[in-house]
Amino acid sequence: MKFSAGAFLCLEGDLASSLYIVKSGTLSGTSSKSNPAKPKVFEPGSIIGVSSLLENAPWDYTIRALEDCEIDVVNRESLDQALEKSPAWLNSIISFLIKRNHVSEENKRKSDLVQALPSLLYVFAKLLKERSDNTISIARLVQEANLINGTQEEEVRRLLRKLQDLKALKIQGDCMQVQSKELIPLLYETLRFRALERKVSPNILSMTDQMILTVFVKLSQRSKDPLRNGLSAISTADLKTETKKTMHGVTLTTRTMAALVENKILEPSSTLDFHAPIDQVEFFFGDFDHIMDLLELNRIFPLLDKKLVE
Amino acid sequence: MTPGDSRRTTTIPPVRTTVKAGFVVYSHNDPERKIVILEKGGLRAVDSSVTPRKELFRMRPGDLVGVAALLEREPFLYDLEATEMSDVTIVSEECMESELKNMPLWLLACIRDLSGQNRQRRESMRKPRMENSLKSLADFSKFLKKGKFYPMENLIQEYCWQTKAAVASTKEDLKALCRRRLLELQKQGDSLYITVPEPELLKLFVDYLDYQDQGKPWEPLRLNANQRKAVITLSAIKGDEAKDAPGWLSEFQKKGVELNVSDWIHLVGQGLFKEKDESHYSPVPERVQYFLLALRYETNLRGLL
Repeated sequence: MKFSAGAFLCLEGDLASSLYIVKSGTLSGTSSKSNPAKPKVFEPGSIIGVSSLLENAPWDYTIRALEDCEIDVVNRESLDQALEKSPAWLNSIISFLIKRNHVSEENKRKSDLVQALPSLLYVFAKLLKERSDNTISIARLVQEANLINGTQEEEVRRLLRKLQDLKALKIQGDCMQVQSKELIPLLYETLRFRALERKVSPNILSMTDQMILTVFVKLSQRSKDPLRNGLSAISTADLKTETKKTMHGVTLTTRTMAALVENKILEPSSTLDFHAPIDQVEFFFGDFDHIMDLLELNRIFPLLDKKLVE
Repeated sequence: MTPGDSRRTTTIPPVRTTVKAGFVVYSHNDPERKIVILEKGGLRAVDSSVTPRKELFRMRPGDLVGVAALLEREPFLYDLEATEMSDVTIVSEECMESELKNMPLWLLACIRDLSGQNRQRRESMRKPRMENSLKSLADFSKFLKKGKFYPMENLIQEYCWQTKAAVASTKEDLKALCRRRLLELQKQGDSLYITVPEPELLKLFVDYLDYQDQGKPWEPLRLNANQRKAVITLSAIKGDEAKDAPGWLSEFQKKGVELNVSDWIHLVGQGLFKEKDESHYSPVPERVQYFLLALRYETNLRGLL
């Protein structure tokens, strides 16, 4: 069959009734799911619509001839006849191939999404740094993520929706807003550390550390004392009492505070002697905003991997 | 299309056999490639290269393995053994070939296409997705802090993690950016560091490459000599100064820049001026700076150093 330049071979969404084998000429396929600037090109030897016809599925693309083309058309009847003549095991193999293609398509979609996250967070963190407010335009993020990694707009939007589900950001029309400017950079850094250092990032805290920090935050919010050099200060006595209450009788010791002090998340008012009782220290200081960000990170991070492949 | 063809030959039938529990139906050492279809019973795939042997998956009636090995010449990586008395159909290479010879050419092409789609997807999952790796690295680098020393190896590692780019090609792109002096390589002791002399230049370079990729000329480097002079002149004029078009033309003339009406329209079209009221225009400082930087570093951007 001859197709003139500009003629449509099929329309996306229509049910396939034939498959086409390109003998000469070039065709271009566009889809609502793919980048319109990068149409799929079908050249001599290309087979169009195998899966659609075999599965009674609609066309994935709208395909148009870019030049005069010669195309072999195989209709459903010919296909059914040929499959009927084939042995059963061959039909099993064809079914297997179709099923495997669906699996690999889904795997690719998931892999692309997982792979798109680091560059998206990188750009997001850098753009937040440039801004005086906490709002970033989605269009800008799409543009930058595409430039660095080839990430498509739909992928960016899906990732943003997943991050919104995790309460890491809020999508508001064409923009997104973050509660804290530090959470996204922390998330990126933690992912980067895990991937490149192949170790758990120091930002990922133990359950005990998280609970102590939660107590610290609770007491800071309750406290009417002014910040000291931008830091919240909580007396060791209050911290001990509240920890005992919240952590079901756990006694706060210098040992339990060690990791938080070593990672400089909390600072003792005097040098912490690990062999002396904790009461030697009058206060513990901490950057309230940073602690809140760390707690948020520790809430989100364990959920992230699962959320990405959902 | 006529589905018939003249290649019809005698077909070799597949082998149907019954095997006992523990029988190895297909070994990873097997020199012959085949597809195994489980008709009845149970099979399991085992990795025998580890101790103790590790079960990878189990097969149920109707399942098959070996398609990639037979159709795509991929290695068969495990052993397939029966877990109970089982009936299996074994499609050998000869059997498959004889059947493929008997089917219409177009159906053969369809099977190859279906088989190829999977391989292409798996290959594309390993490849970087960006189209222009130099543009991608420039875009990544434009977010780096001006003048800060970044350990080169760490920076390459981070970029490759984000993009799946190969280290070797990233080093080549890094060299290309250093040759243009958009990035600088610094040595301190035994370590190499990357610094960004001017992140704005990298932004310009990304725009320049973006236009090149689209097959369009990048406007800042398309200006004629008079238009270029006008941009330089404009950079010394305050952004709030407003004049009508003849006023600007005579202002340029006073400063020794011979600009005609067509040049004027072109500069307005490039966003170097904004209309303040019906007939008055004032320069747009950010746009003027953008053009000025492009003109000043034209050789860097074009890579003609």
